[in-house]
Amino acid sequence: MKKARIIALVLLIMLVAFGFTSCKKEEAAPAPAPEEKEAALPGDGMIAAMATDVGGLGDKSFNDGAYGGLKMAEELLGTEARVVQSKQQTDYVPNLSGLAEDGADVVFAVGFLMDQAVNEAAANNPDTLFAGIDIWSNDASPENFMGIVFNEHEAGYLAGIVAGLMTKEYASASDKLNDENKIGVVLGMFIPPVEKYEVGFIAGARSVNPDIEVLSATAGDFVDQAKGKELALAMIEQGADIIFHAAGLTGLGAINACKEEGVLAIGVDVDQNSTAPDTVLTSAEKKIVQATYLAVESVIDGSFKGGTRVFDINDDAVGISSFHSFDSVVPQAVKDAVDSAIADMKSGKVTVPTTRAEIGL
Amino acid sequence: MQNNSLSKILIILMILTGIAGIVLWSASYFIGIIFIAAALVLYYFYKRSAEGGESAGAWAKGFIKTLYIPVFGIIAAIILGGIIMIITGNDPVVAYKALFYGGFVRSWHISILNAVPLIFTGLSVAFAFQAGLFNIGAEGQFYIGSMMATWLGLRLGMPPVFSIFIIFIVSGLAAAAYNIVPAALKVKTGAHEVITTMMLAHVARHLSPIFIRGNGGDPASSTHAYVTDDILENNFLPIFKDFLPNANYRLHVGILIAIAVAVLVYYILYYTRIGFEVRAVGQNPNAARAQGISIGKNIMIALLFAGFLSGLAGVNQVVGLDHKMFQNLSAGYGWNGISVAILASNNPIGVIFTSILWGALDAGGQYMTRTTQIPNSIVEIIKGIILFLIVARYIYTYFGNRMKKRRIDRKIKEAV
Amino acid sequence: MEVLAQIFNTELLVATIRLSTPITLAAVGATICERSGVVNIAMEGMMIVGAFTGLIGAMFTGDPWLGLLFAVLAGGVFSLLHAFATVSLHLEHVVSGAVLNILAFGIVRYMMVMIFGHPGTTDPIRFSLKNYQWAIPGLSKIPVLGPIFFNQTPIIYFSFLLIIFFTFFLKKTKLGLHIKAAGEHPLALETIGVSVYKMRYTGVFISGMMAGLAGAYLSIENAVSFTEGMSSGRGFIAMAAMISGGWTPIGAFIASLFFGFADALQVRLQVALELSIPEELFIILPYVLTVVAVAGLVRKSRAPKADGVDFMIERPE
Repeated sequence: MKKARIIALVLLIMLVAFGFTSCKKEEAAPAPAPEEKEAALPGDGMIAAMATDVGGLGDKSFNDGAYGGLKMAEELLGTEARVVQSKQQTDYVPNLSGLAEDGADVVFAVGFLMDQAVNEAAANNPDTLFAGIDIWSNDASPENFMGIVFNEHEAGYLAGIVAGLMTKEYASASDKLNDENKIGVVLGMFIPPVEKYEVGFIAGARSVNPDIEVLSATAGDFVDQAKGKELALAMIEQGADIIFHAAGLTGLGAINACKEEGVLAIGVDVDQNSTAPDTVLTSAEKKIVQATYLAVESVIDGSFKGGTRVFDINDDAVGISSFHSFDSVVPQAVKDAVDSAIADMKSGKVTVPTTRAEIGL
Repeated sequence: MQNNSLSKILIILMILTGIAGIVLWSASYFIGIIFIAAALVLYYFYKRSAEGGESAGAWAKGFIKTLYIPVFGIIAAIILGGIIMIITGNDPVVAYKALFYGGFVRSWHISILNAVPLIFTGLSVAFAFQAGLFNIGAEGQFYIGSMMATWLGLRLGMPPVFSIFIIFIVSGLAAAAYNIVPAALKVKTGAHEVITTMMLAHVARHLSPIFIRGNGGDPASSTHAYVTDDILENNFLPIFKDFLPNANYRLHVGILIAIAVAVLVYYILYYTRIGFEVRAVGQNPNAARAQGISIGKNIMIALLFAGFLSGLAGVNQVVGLDHKMFQNLSAGYGWNGISVAILASNNPIGVIFTSILWGALDAGGQYMTRTTQIPNSIVEIIKGIILFLIVARYIYTYFGNRMKKRRIDRKIKEAV
Repeated sequence: MEVLAQIFNTELLVATIRLSTPITLAAVGATICERSGVVNIAMEGMMIVGAFTGLIGAMFTGDPWLGLLFAVLAGGVFSLLHAFATVSLHLEHVVSGAVLNILAFGIVRYMMVMIFGHPGTTDPIRFSLKNYQWAIPGLSKIPVLGPIFFNQTPIIYFSFLLIIFFTFFLKKTKLGLHIKAAGEHPLALETIGVSVYKMRYTGVFISGMMAGLAGAYLSIENAVSFTEGMSSGRGFIAMAAMISGGWTPIGAFIASLFFGFADALQVRLQVALELSIPEELFIILPYVLTVVAVAGLVRKSRAPKADGVDFMIERPE
């Protein structure tokens, strides 16, 4: 009899838990009744859809960024945003093709793992436009496919300049900095965007501070916060006072470590200042939200065309986010150095390396 | 008399479904195949009843009885999943319609593609289970197999049939070799294979990036660190579209290989001396030892063969579907292999069907999210419940006994 | 020499404690569970459930202590499923564990989508248990030992206390002895009138609570948010620790320390050494060491006799 009671208790708790989630959901979404739109938006009736890679939404990186872009387009242009999360590689082609067949006007493939899949889907659905975030279009790519890539190394370079200057020359600006002349970078897994961020960061730091020591370590995982934290703590202990991470969710642990130890962190991909406002100095950003939005807009105004679109410093699509509460801490000289580096990159005076081989690692 | 009329009905049904199957075949292979298979089953029953052996009805009854629990489990899981959806504010009718339409009709070829690696890893886990071993690290052997397959695929320039055969065998052997350490440790020191294979799975997963960078062609290319080059075209597994023009262009013959291997494993387990010994060790090591069966030898055989089978899953993904290797190639095929093996009660033939069910739930779940935006993690919950209700057979006896007891108690009370 | 000093210092040992705590908690829980005769490979799933519930609790009540309570309860309640399946339904223990792992990840993912609109990661909480770090006056000033054992966060202190408690529990208390008997000679226990079923339920429940605690450590003490997959196989490493620790709480603790040490060392080697060998070779170090440890130590340890053995009895209730 007792067991029955225990089972009943288990069921009851599960029920309460589920009820709780449903209540929560209702609270969170106060019936977004379709507002009467005053003027018809240009994208009304159009569907902009995306398929995530296996990382899925909630990665605080390109998947979330692309979704943000679709949401922005929904609000400003009136297109309907649809999203489907892939679970395994076999899902990529059917998800992309399926979205096209279900009437989407433009389908975004997010993450360069979908390279082959989006090319296939585009070839099979010639009437739908396809765009790939972080995917290069190649010679064999069909006309209705546009690759959208970012020069992450340029964002990393700017972050490196900030870190390189702050850690030594202007270490007195904040009590969170020391005079060790060491900074660190925490990596998730060693994949191309991560490598580009790291290499750009190191090159940037060295360009303003030649004898700086940059500590670098890899977690081997994009979700293990405890590991990210431990890597950051080991660097802090060695004297690093600014830690950049290109480690997705693992990096959240690194930021947390910086917060606890009272040093500065630099976020990645999106402005991560809100994660820890008193710790995140700035973030090396690639503006996926805007790029996605621009792509939707180009579909509406008919200027969408195939090939690869590289979003770089010239478009202001990569860069560093604002300093938020550190705006008064960061000296004008650092801001000037960043501005002149941006100008140099734009004019072609500086070319930022992209692979470890180029910077001798 | 009754048998006679039954056989007449059967033969009519058989002809009808056979014709329907052949007609449908030209439009959709999948539905056509189902009808043709149904016609064959009917023919079988017809022959049985015509021969006048055990009546078809009685046989069918016996067969259906064995399906009680699985069918009940699946239905109950669907109902429970529906309740969860209602509580959380989703419409289960819409969801299930999309789920089944997607999994079995619209994207059935994805279901098959999903099922292929699962069949291999499922067989691997099942084979080890038959020997009383838990090969939880199938994921690692998957990686070893796929790395070896990529390495060979990039280099072997022989005629397709030869080189694919070599790739399958050599890569499988490499994965088997990866299991030598856990097997030897188990035999020599008794180190639990759950731990050793699991740890080696992590090791293999973390080693794969090094391999990929080593075979990623131009280090200056944009994807250097993440994917290898494409393997040579003569090492691609043939696709069905080559000889069936209606088939989906991604559907490769891996499913046939998987089924063939499953039948082979079944044969080995139940019709050979090796299989007998392996099962004997799994069922009762002490009795097996008393019969003069070497425990150590059979543990070795079971774990190495399990590694071989998991390795084939990796090979299959590389030469069949992706034609290259990348980081995180495996979408948890090793872990899901455990589920399909458990669900099939470690029967190799059963693994084929449970893998297809799993593959279909995955494919249908994707279709469901795509069209209805209901989160497909509900599919994971349904899978878990199905597993629980089917595996825990005793649950029915348990609740049956309780009810019986309550009835008796009540009767006693009344009598008093 | 300077490099060596950078790697081998007190901080390495503090990091060892940090990294080993979740493993220790889970390993001690698994030890109790297996001493009662139930194999529990669902520790990983229970940890994830605990980590998630802990964060949800801390987020919606605003109090990490309540989050901790939620985590422990959720881990315990979830583990009852395992107890029900293995003890009452006589299901193969490993099978039930594998099923529960799948179920745990499915449920957590679904709840994430329902509550936050996406899987992946949750929003951060403002107060974590890290805010309650407490340096014990006096003791924390002892060189080396002070920072390691006496200047820690709450769950780490709990883990020390729980190791002592469970060692005592298994050796001296009646309940502990009965639990051990359920894993060694269930029939003998039944003949003296103690329910084996009850003992095994208790053992599994304790392991669930410990796994919940380990999960809470990951999400609301060591971090401030929950990330899907944040347990990263620690539940399974805990199994390894339990086995190499010879099925005793102290042994499990020492083995966990060893794994934590390997991981902490790996991290420090990566940071301090500038070698041109792939990082992945450092990352696999703890896993390789685990295999070596299991291979080397397992001979000396002995599993409870009825560990994983089903026990069925008809008993008038």
